[in-house]
Amino acid sequence: MPNSVAIVGIGQTYHTGRRNDVSQPEMVAEAVRAALADAQMSIKDIEAVFFGNMETFEGIYLPDHGMSAEVGAFGKPGFKVNTGGTTGASVVAEGFYMISAGLYDLALVIGFEKQDCGDTTAAITAAAVPTWAKGAATGAIGEFAKQALAYLETSGAKEEHAAMVRLKADRNACRNPYAHLRLGLKSIDEVLQSPYLVWPLRLLDFCPQSCGACALILASEQRAKKITKKPVWIADLEVVHQEPFRAGIFGDPTGKETYTQHVACERLYKRNGITNPRKDIDMAEIYEPSNWEELNLYEHLHFCDKNEGWKLIEKGVTEIEGEFPVNPSGGVTATNPIGATPVIRVAEAALQIRGDAGEHQITKDINTAMATALGGPNWTVLFLLKRSM
Amino acid sequence: MPMAERVGIIAVAQTKYHPNRTDVNEEELAYEAIKQVLEETGLTLSDMDSAVTCSQDFWDGRTISSMNIQHVVGAHLGHEDNISEDGINAVYAAMGQILSGHQHIVLVEAHTKESQGDKSLIENAAFDAIFMRQLGLDFTSAAALQARRYMYKYGITAEQCAKVVVRNRANAKNNPFAQEPMDISVDDVLGSKMLISPIRLLDTKPISDGACAMILAPEGKVKKLTRKPVWILGASNCYETHYLGDRDLANCDALVKAAQKAYNMAGITNPLRQIDVAEISTEYSYQEPLWLEGLGFCDQGEGGKLVDSRATKMGGKLPVNPSGGVLPGNPNGVAGMARVAEAVLQLRGEAGDRQVKGAKVALAHGYTGICGQHQAVMILGNM
Amino acid sequence: MVKESPKKKAEGPEYIRIKFNAPRPYNWSTGKYLGKVYAEAKENKKLVGNRCPQCKEIWLPPTPVCPKCKVDMGWDWVELPQTGAVYQYTYLVYPLWDPHYGEKWANPYPSAIILLDNGVYYRHWLEEKDKEKLKAGTRVQAVWKEDYEERGQGVQDILYFRTLEE
Repeated sequence: MPNSVAIVGIGQTYHTGRRNDVSQPEMVAEAVRAALADAQMSIKDIEAVFFGNMETFEGIYLPDHGMSAEVGAFGKPGFKVNTGGTTGASVVAEGFYMISAGLYDLALVIGFEKQDCGDTTAAITAAAVPTWAKGAATGAIGEFAKQALAYLETSGAKEEHAAMVRLKADRNACRNPYAHLRLGLKSIDEVLQSPYLVWPLRLLDFCPQSCGACALILASEQRAKKITKKPVWIADLEVVHQEPFRAGIFGDPTGKETYTQHVACERLYKRNGITNPRKDIDMAEIYEPSNWEELNLYEHLHFCDKNEGWKLIEKGVTEIEGEFPVNPSGGVTATNPIGATPVIRVAEAALQIRGDAGEHQITKDINTAMATALGGPNWTVLFLLKRSM
Repeated sequence: MPMAERVGIIAVAQTKYHPNRTDVNEEELAYEAIKQVLEETGLTLSDMDSAVTCSQDFWDGRTISSMNIQHVVGAHLGHEDNISEDGINAVYAAMGQILSGHQHIVLVEAHTKESQGDKSLIENAAFDAIFMRQLGLDFTSAAALQARRYMYKYGITAEQCAKVVVRNRANAKNNPFAQEPMDISVDDVLGSKMLISPIRLLDTKPISDGACAMILAPEGKVKKLTRKPVWILGASNCYETHYLGDRDLANCDALVKAAQKAYNMAGITNPLRQIDVAEISTEYSYQEPLWLEGLGFCDQGEGGKLVDSRATKMGGKLPVNPSGGVLPGNPNGVAGMARVAEAVLQLRGEAGDRQVKGAKVALAHGYTGICGQHQAVMILGNM
Repeated sequence: MVKESPKKKAEGPEYIRIKFNAPRPYNWSTGKYLGKVYAEAKENKKLVGNRCPQCKEIWLPPTPVCPKCKVDMGWDWVELPQTGAVYQYTYLVYPLWDPHYGEKWANPYPSAIILLDNGVYYRHWLEEKDKEKLKAGTRVQAVWKEDYEERGQGVQDILYFRTLEE
């Protein structure tokens, strides 16, 4: 039997657009110190440090090397992973495997991005094959615009529904002191007035470029129980990748291709006996780069049937006090330091299970939570977190 | 302590290292190596439970460099992760996945086409942006600082470093994958063009393109897949601090720590006696005596003497780099994984003219970054 | 109007920012498979894809391994029709940085997914810049760079897809 792994420490920075006051190592150190304080331990106890970051966004090659002293990796084992938008999830997965393998008892996993250092859209555009279609890729924005268009045209949703998603996200973000964009949006009209970036995706439909870091301390079963009374168990995870879609990179508007979310959910749900996700799971922190994508994800993650995603938001099902809260933290449209974002999803879901989410805590009991990550050519990572195994 | 079941490497492959593979793009290059391990084992990409790849965005010139190769590692609707350190760390990560019990048959791959980017510009981006980058440093200029410090502190000579080059380039003649085997003398090395004192042209490796692939499996499955399994007995890695001024460059503390952990796992207490062959990564000649000290094959400061002795030659007590190592040409990122591949070939008795007879325990080493800021060691055995 | 969350505000000294503007040149090879696409485009003004021996799907961009079947693709090439219908389109409003050009621009030609007449979806640009005239289902045809010397940029040898007058 593989060893069980729990999250025993959670730390994140106050995410924001520009961090002129810190360098990349200093920013990450803030999250690490917060996680150590949360777990009430010292860096000496940490046995390995794993990093997740997209180098091209900051133009820093081997960023984990640059910060080895500031974050306490000096003299310790570890490595860095790089899988695009799911980087933060891959690093949590690697930390999970290493502890589950019995190689370490306590590991620090860190996801970070200091996007004011570079130009993220340019960097994402550089994900396209340079010998294929120069100037074709429009970065993530263009890709998600295509998905938005496909959803708008086929599901019965209206632009108002995307606006409702943003209102929910913003209401939640305003209750989360760590969130980046806390706009105080009041009405659907306010959202619908924001300009188009790539039609039909509006400025307010899309996630920001944030600077931030999130660190988790993972522990093996024996250590977890000694460190904290509230370990959050990583019960299961599923990683599904694929090659880039032909008619798009991050999405497939043709409807012919298989989405990794479907495959990942089928496998994860089957292994864990989940037949009715909205009942068997108590809440979800999902990685939605755009409001439209959240509606899409409701369907892909089997929270509802196809073409019904917009009905969930219309009925308030996924509000923080709704039947199945999604993204009580404000989600990715409020905060998106790309390397950190999936780690934040796991961290926020874990905080909900612990009852430590403060002002944005869901009032009903959370025993099982799901955290998802999305990245690259629509890669998916799912985590199932539990209060007790 | 790791779990009871061991992890075995059941097949390895390398492409012949070449200065400029304009005939392939990254996916075709990676597939060249992957095809070989599939053919050798009779497995298909569909049999892989997971893939661990090793490529760098900065070298590939693409964000999310592993997007390039998802299909050739069988990651269509599959499990894949990309490690951004030297390839030996990808083998380590794969080992962790298998020991955890969550993954079983894992394909590991590394590829880099050094010919397509500007090495100095790429390496310069690794230096911290506030203090060091603006000095225009790259790995070679930083290595020169380390070489100078190391030679000054312990009296290592340029001749001793040149002997390392002579031996490695000559050993490469027996390696069908080697890029630039050479018959040269110490004088040839000392007479080659000075790049950055004390590093001369022949003290460095040429630009290289290549890929390496291997398949790992848990003990329970290994026996069915190969008659010549090679086991990972121990492995670890370690970070050093970043700022050059914070380190005594004459030491390699990170390597000492990584080696110590790997030795503990493998039950090695006397490396010089218990290890039959070592494949270590050295992009610069001075690194060989320095890394040999860090690996505990001699005392600190005695690396030069070890190089002078017969010990590290073919037929000696501890042959180092029968393949020729990295100096004759190995790409960044692939180098450490290639060392694991060579160690595996040694332990399977398949190393041809470069075979160390009766090798039972081998050491593979890889490093990443400025002056080996990140070090990794792996101990392998065939029993 | 963006509000900032309560956190340490940067007070006191003005922060020094260090700017690095170093272009990093790369030389990418097309490799064997993409090289065939380039050659057919340059020499013959043809668009080709390769076909999987097992599932028979046509892949464009071409690939050495069929992602779905995970088998070696071999060397089976299919010429693609140069006409099709617009399946989906979008247009850039906001100029974005393109690292391949090293500048910010908003490509005026709309980007579209075209359903070629043999059922293959292919992404390219449309000639029609007037947003009012853009519509899914419009029939379009590839327009090539006529000058042989100017070709050799792979699928960029097709300038755009032109609306076919019905």
